[in-house]
Amino acid sequence: MTAKIIDGKAFAADVRARVADQVTRLKAEHGITPGLAVVLVGEDPASQVYVRNKGKQTVEVGMESFEHKLEADTSEADLLALIDRLNADPAVHGILVQLPLPGHLDSDLVINSIDPAKDVDGFHISNVGLLGTGQKAMVPCTPLGCLMMLRDHHGSLSGLDAVVVGRSNIVGKPMAQLLLGDSCTVTIAHSRTRDLAEVCRRADILVAAVGRPEMIPGDWVKPGATVIDVGINRIERDGKNRLVGDVEFDGAAQVAGAITPVPGGVGPMTIACLLANTLTACCRANGLPEPEGLTA
Amino acid sequence: MSATLIDGKAIAARIRAETRAEAEALAEAGWAPRLVSISVGDVAAAELYVRNQQRQADDAGIGYEARNYDATISLEQLEGVLAGLNADPRVNGIIIQRPLPAHIPVKALQKAVHPLKDVEGMHPSSIGNIVYNDLVLGPCTAVAAVDILKTLPLKMEGLDVCVIGHSEIVGKPIAFLMMGLGATVTVCHHMTRQVAVHSRSADAVFVAVGKPGLVRGEMLKPGAALIDIGINRVEGRTVGDADFTSCAEVAGWITPVPGGVGPVTVAVLMKNAAIATRMQMEHYRAAFAAAI
Repeated sequence: MTAKIIDGKAFAADVRARVADQVTRLKAEHGITPGLAVVLVGEDPASQVYVRNKGKQTVEVGMESFEHKLEADTSEADLLALIDRLNADPAVHGILVQLPLPGHLDSDLVINSIDPAKDVDGFHISNVGLLGTGQKAMVPCTPLGCLMMLRDHHGSLSGLDAVVVGRSNIVGKPMAQLLLGDSCTVTIAHSRTRDLAEVCRRADILVAAVGRPEMIPGDWVKPGATVIDVGINRIERDGKNRLVGDVEFDGAAQVAGAITPVPGGVGPMTIACLLANTLTACCRANGLPEPEGLTA
Repeated sequence: MSATLIDGKAIAARIRAETRAEAEALAEAGWAPRLVSISVGDVAAAELYVRNQQRQADDAGIGYEARNYDATISLEQLEGVLAGLNADPRVNGIIIQRPLPAHIPVKALQKAVHPLKDVEGMHPSSIGNIVYNDLVLGPCTAVAAVDILKTLPLKMEGLDVCVIGHSEIVGKPIAFLMMGLGATVTVCHHMTRQVAVHSRSADAVFVAVGKPGLVRGEMLKPGAALIDIGINRVEGRTVGDADFTSCAEVAGWITPVPGGVGPVTVAVLMKNAAIATRMQMEHYRAAFAAAI
């Protein structure tokens, strides 16, 4: 094994520590406490775990956490009314509606009713467009986390060839925008790409976000490349349940310069970046300078 | 020269004819499409564009009113003007002519146009829709360039595409539009180490940088399509970003400059006016259905 393992857990802990530090300063110098509201509709067990973790980490960095748990049969009007109240609440700087929503609710409508300035997930159509036009936006958490790790490892990303595999709205597309923003030459590859192996082999930075277990073998990785594996896939191997990424780790680690493991790579960064976004939203709402090193 | 020349004027005429039919249908329903163009200060700079748009609007059956405001107008006053146009049901699309005086940030005005009247496709939500693979109203130049490529006998799915230039209004939206069509897109720009490495492996190359002679024949894969979006003045002539002679030897198809993307861009603006009008009509009917 030659690749440096990028420790997402330690990196995320560092991001949270920096957020906590800034929160302490905001309280001391301005009397402001950033607040994050999380809305959960229904009782999806996975969503309940996410929401609990988010709430716990929000409190740990010194922020105010507001949890709104609604019945699975909540009407769209009631949900929109709650979002209206949160939009108007000055103690709430970030609003997150846990997805997926029950089938009778229109997620696009719900997400687009959040004040874009409080849309800490970065999914509001205006934030998507602002990011697409290089303007100040709220940036989706997972790609923001990937960007932070890449910047930490490389310093400047300018001029590097980046390949993003997967064109999802929540990872692939914003990731491509962020890499372009940092002056990478960016290729977005996906299921229709003709020679994926060849495209991947050109990459100095390879971001895999397709959700197919170990679909990228080691010999698709350019020697010395940085591999960011966003995939989290549950598979059964040797009778045991295991989590694996979209990249075949052992093979890739032989050739890559640096690689994120699964689990313990990109995963822990997502909530850390949610907290960073809440802090950023709070600073913007109060006309204060944005937290350094925690934004795109 | 071996490349087939792409006739932008003919494509534009076809789009205008389609738009005219749609505009007539809308007019019959009581919704004759109408554009308002806003220019600020120096009229001469935007005059050429305005006159050209006026002529093409006439041809496409779209109403067109050009307004000019004094250079001393404030941003707040202009935002007020836009709020009025947004609310006015007789106005279906708003065009903001560039250049604007230094004290008027163009992005602030683009954001102030109602997304349903954003015929230039510059509002963040218009761009957001493109990123999310839902083209409603797109930036005219980018849509024009992609529409031109779509006239060629190429399968968009899996097509290797190189976009040179990552501007917010041309390069990036082209990249997302092409990605939405299933192409594998690489975006190059001034920090790209070797553009030729990327352009030479592409089946289609879009160039929108503003540098004459940037793309030469040896940078292309034989038979590739070259869509040249650059408009540069060189020794009194208008040229694109490609070195036309050498590129035409290698490419399979090439757009001329002038007469390529330019005319199609204005035609797309008119098409957007008709699309916007239909959306407003449907929006109105959905909100006030009892009235019809």
